[in-house]
Order: sequence, then structure tokens, then C-alpha cells
Amino acid sequence: MNILILGIGQSLRGDDAAGLEAVRLWQELCPETAQRVRLEFAELPGLGLLDLLKGMDAAVLVDAVHAMSAAGTILHLSQDDLASFAPGSGSAHGWGVAETLALGRLLSPSLAECRITLIGIVGEKFDMGTGLSQGVREVLPAACSLLDQEIRSFLRERNASSC
Amino acid sequence: MKTIEVPALARVEGEGGLYIGLKDDQVVEIRLDIYEPPRFFEGFLVGRFLQEVPDITARICGICPVAYQMSSVTALEKALDVEVSPQVYTLRRLMYCGEYIESHALHIYLLQAPDLLGQASALDLAAIAPDVVKNALRMKKIGNEVLKAIGGRSVHPVNACVGGFYRWPDATPLRALLPELEWGLEAAKETVRWSLTLPYPDLKIDYEFVALHHADEYGVIKGDVWSSKGSKISVADYETHYIEEHVKHSNALHGHTVDGGTYLVGPLARLNLNHAQLLPAAQKALKDTKLKLPLKNPYKSLIARAVELVHFYEEAIQMIKVYQPDGPAHLDLKLKAGEGAGASEAPRGLLYHRYKIDENGLIKFVKIIPPTAQNLPRIEADLFALAPKLVKMEQEQATLTAEHLVRSYDPCISCATHFLKLKVEEIRD
Repeated sequence: MNILILGIGQSLRGDDAAGLEAVRLWQELCPETAQRVRLEFAELPGLGLLDLLKGMDAAVLVDAVHAMSAAGTILHLSQDDLASFAPGSGSAHGWGVAETLALGRLLSPSLAECRITLIGIVGEKFDMGTGLSQGVREVLPAACSLLDQEIRSFLRERNASSC
Repeated sequence: MKTIEVPALARVEGEGGLYIGLKDDQVVEIRLDIYEPPRFFEGFLVGRFLQEVPDITARICGICPVAYQMSSVTALEKALDVEVSPQVYTLRRLMYCGEYIESHALHIYLLQAPDLLGQASALDLAAIAPDVVKNALRMKKIGNEVLKAIGGRSVHPVNACVGGFYRWPDATPLRALLPELEWGLEAAKETVRWSLTLPYPDLKIDYEFVALHHADEYGVIKGDVWSSKGSKISVADYETHYIEEHVKHSNALHGHTVDGGTYLVGPLARLNLNHAQLLPAAQKALKDTKLKLPLKNPYKSLIARAVELVHFYEEAIQMIKVYQPDGPAHLDLKLKAGEGAGASEAPRGLLYHRYKIDENGLIKFVKIIPPTAQNLPRIEADLFALAPKLVKMEQEQATLTAEHLVRSYDPCISCATHFLKLKVEEIRD
């Protein structure tokens, strides 16, 4: 089982870096586990997300999100949840995760078989500049913990299938 | 008073509102209100060292960062009175090929084609024509790979600097792209043939076209500023002919000629002014279309982009085949106070930069005029031509029709979410 952990975001756009920072923190805290999966960081992957997912059996994406919830809320979205975010906006230059995955499922049956979940961290400030807002920074450990649980679940499954 | 609200203008950038004022059922006023907040690049670049400028200005756009880098280095090199080597120049053009390929493939297939084919989005197009979209993504990816091979990554690539490049890219990864580039060239030729089958709305505008022109190559980085109305000026004289000004209803500046006229930059302008400089495969692709130039239908900018795709694939192949880096990748700059203007043709049109620097290489003044700002008044004027039809439509149809026209320009107001509100108001005395 090929497992991808993908931190997504823009490091120069405030809380949009939350996904990147969460995955980096997890990598520091769990270095041995990090070596057992494929780890990638992507700033504005857009349609390039489909290339990153190629050949993967499971993927956990970590990204900042806009939502009605309070800043720092952590959302754990399944594949079905992601599907419900699909089309509509289609910004010219910023294909979002949901739209890109929807497109990928139409174009590639193998992507439809890849188990994808998203850990979304609700952000507050997305202005130009570095640094996360306090509310987002404080929940990074919790996001890491959720990410670690998700990865270990996939790893157990991988180990079980190779016995 | 009659009001029509039109929701989000999708597949373009920036926040925009469209206002139509009617009097006695005649359109008397039309405004494209840009709500996109100002981004202040021209402000915060002041005081920065000149070598920071290419990578900072590249952040203005995620799809055309190379354009910002090339316009900025060209202008700053003029300020320093330096000229890069032919090898550096060739590599800059190759980098631009990557940007044109990925930008044009995206716009043709995923942004404008769905409109022409009656599909709500690229997703809907993928559902009925998956192979078309798959090929589009493959074509786009090749452009991204060229950027990655030269600049380390496809979004906001690095490596370009004032005076050249920080390092010569390795030849091996570039040559490894040749098979895909050869495939892309054939796919681009097929794109031109396919583009002729699309149902374009009938609209013909007598534009003033403006683009960089060079006698020996398709104008992208070098050349003078040519107008279809006859003026031919150096880039240094650009601001004596073309100005950018504030308008009350827009956070984006509007470009005009100094006598107050509108003009068009972009693929239609380039093709109409520079078709003689296309490389052979693109020349043939254009000739085979049997189209009579100049093209004056904004929707047919798609065809112009398709022809340019052929050109840039061919150019990329040629350049990679002869790429043999030799000598220093960049000049050893001697700092001095100065001022310089530079322009290059972004996929969306002419992008102008001007800088003043002090004796330590610190930026004292910046002026950046993007192609979309130059096109905004022209987009308004074209919407004015379309408005009588819009006001007779139901709101949803009016939205789509306005969006289709605006999308044909491939505007790049910023990389932000977008929102179009259409308001039609009966003006009473």
C-alpha cells in the first residue's frame, strides 16, 4: 500500500501555511513513522495534485480551509465529504483540492480507488505575510495527533495485508 | 428601477461587479467594477535590493510568474546599463516557453472551451470528453516540467536573477523532456484544428492592437511596442503613449492611450502584429486555418492561443536541442543609480515595468502595468456592445453570456476568489 501525506498551503499567506506547518511538525515529532510513508509539501499544487496522487493507494491531505467554524477548528473530511465540495467556483488560477479531486475521479479510475481524507484547519487570516494566527498555531499539535492516528491506521492495514 | 443580480463570475480572477444603466431601454452606462483589493507591490518593493525584485514580483501571479520575472530583470538591467549573454537570453525564452505552454493549455481547454461547448465547467467537459481534458492536462504538465527543470518548481520558479540565472540548469532533465515536447507539438497542431470546430459567437470589434514586436523573432522579451494603428515606439517611451489611471469604480487601474482610447493586448494582438515571426510549424498551422488576419473576434483569441501553443512547443524543442551552458550563468553586476523600463509579453499581453534604483541597488520607485489593467477599458467597451442582448436575458443567461466574453480575455486581476454582481438600473431624469 502506497501512502502519501501531503501538506498543502502557501507559506507566504498567513494561516494558509497551516497544512504545511502541521505536516512539518508531525515529521519532527514522528520521524520514524515519517520514513515509512511518502511525504510531500505542495504550495498551490492546483492540478498538479493529480500527479502527486498517481500510484497512491491512500492519501492524507492537510490544508487550511475557510469555514463558518471558529479559527483553529479541525475538520476531518472523508472522501464523500470532499466530493460534496466539488465544482462551482473554478477560480482560473487556483484549482482547489475538491475540484481537482473531482476532475481526477472523472479522468482516472485508479484515483477513484485511492482512499483520500483531508484534515482541514480552519484559518482566520490569509493576508500576505508569514506566521500563523494564534488560534491556528495552538491547534497544530492536535492536528498532528489526528494526522498520526490516520497514518497509523493505514500502516496497520498495510502491515496486515503483507502478512 | 430594474435590477438584475448576477452571481460569481467564475473562471476569471478578482472580484468584479458589472453595472448596466438603461434609459428608455437603451444602454447608456456600463461599468466593470473591480473590488479586488490593491496589493501594494509597487509600494513595498521600495527600499528592497534589486535582486529581490524578480522573486517578489513573481508572487503577483501564480500562472505568469515568469512574465513578472522577465519584465523586471529586463527593466533593472536597463537601469544598470548591462546586457545579458545570448545564452542567458535563450534560456529566458525557454523558460517563457514553459509558461506559455502551461498557461495557454489551461485557458484553451479548461477555461474557455467549456463555455463554447455549453458546459458549465471543465469538470462537465471532462465528464463528456475525458480524453480531451486528459490531453490538456498532459500538455499543461509539459509546460510545468520545463519551468521546474529551469526554475526548480513550476509555481513561482526561482533561478532567474538580474544579470542572468543563479545557476545553469542541468541539460539532462531538459533533454529528457524532448519526447513529451514532441508529443505536445503534435497535440498543439491538433488543438489548432480542433479550435476551428468550436462555435464562436459572432462579435467583431475594431481594436487597436498593441504588442511587442521584433523583426527576427516572435516578440516575447525583446522588441519595440507596436500598435496596429501605426505607432512603433521603444519600450522606454511606453508611458508617453500609454497611461494607467484611477477610475472611481475600480480598484484596478485602467490603461488607455494618451488620447483616451482603449486598446487590446494579448494573443490576438500578438498574432495579428507578429504572425510573420512565428516558427514554421506555427506558420503552417495558421496558414491551414485559412483565417484572414487580423482576427477581430475576442472569442477567437482561443485560436490565437492555439497557434501560439504550436510556436512555443516548437521553440522549446529547438532551444533544448542546442542547450549547452558555457561560462558564467550571470553577470557580475556593478551597482549604480539609474532608471530603466522593460517589457515582456505575458501570456495575457504586454507587461511593463519601470524601476529607479540608487547607487546601492535599492529600489526607489516602481511602476508595474499588467496586461489585464490595459485591457479593462476594452473589456468594458466590449460588454457595452453586448449589453443590449444581456438586458433582455434571464439573470442566469445574462451571467453566463457576460462571463463568456470576459473569460475570452483570460483576465488575471489577481489570484483570488471572484464575484460578479450584475446590476441593471433604469436611469430616470
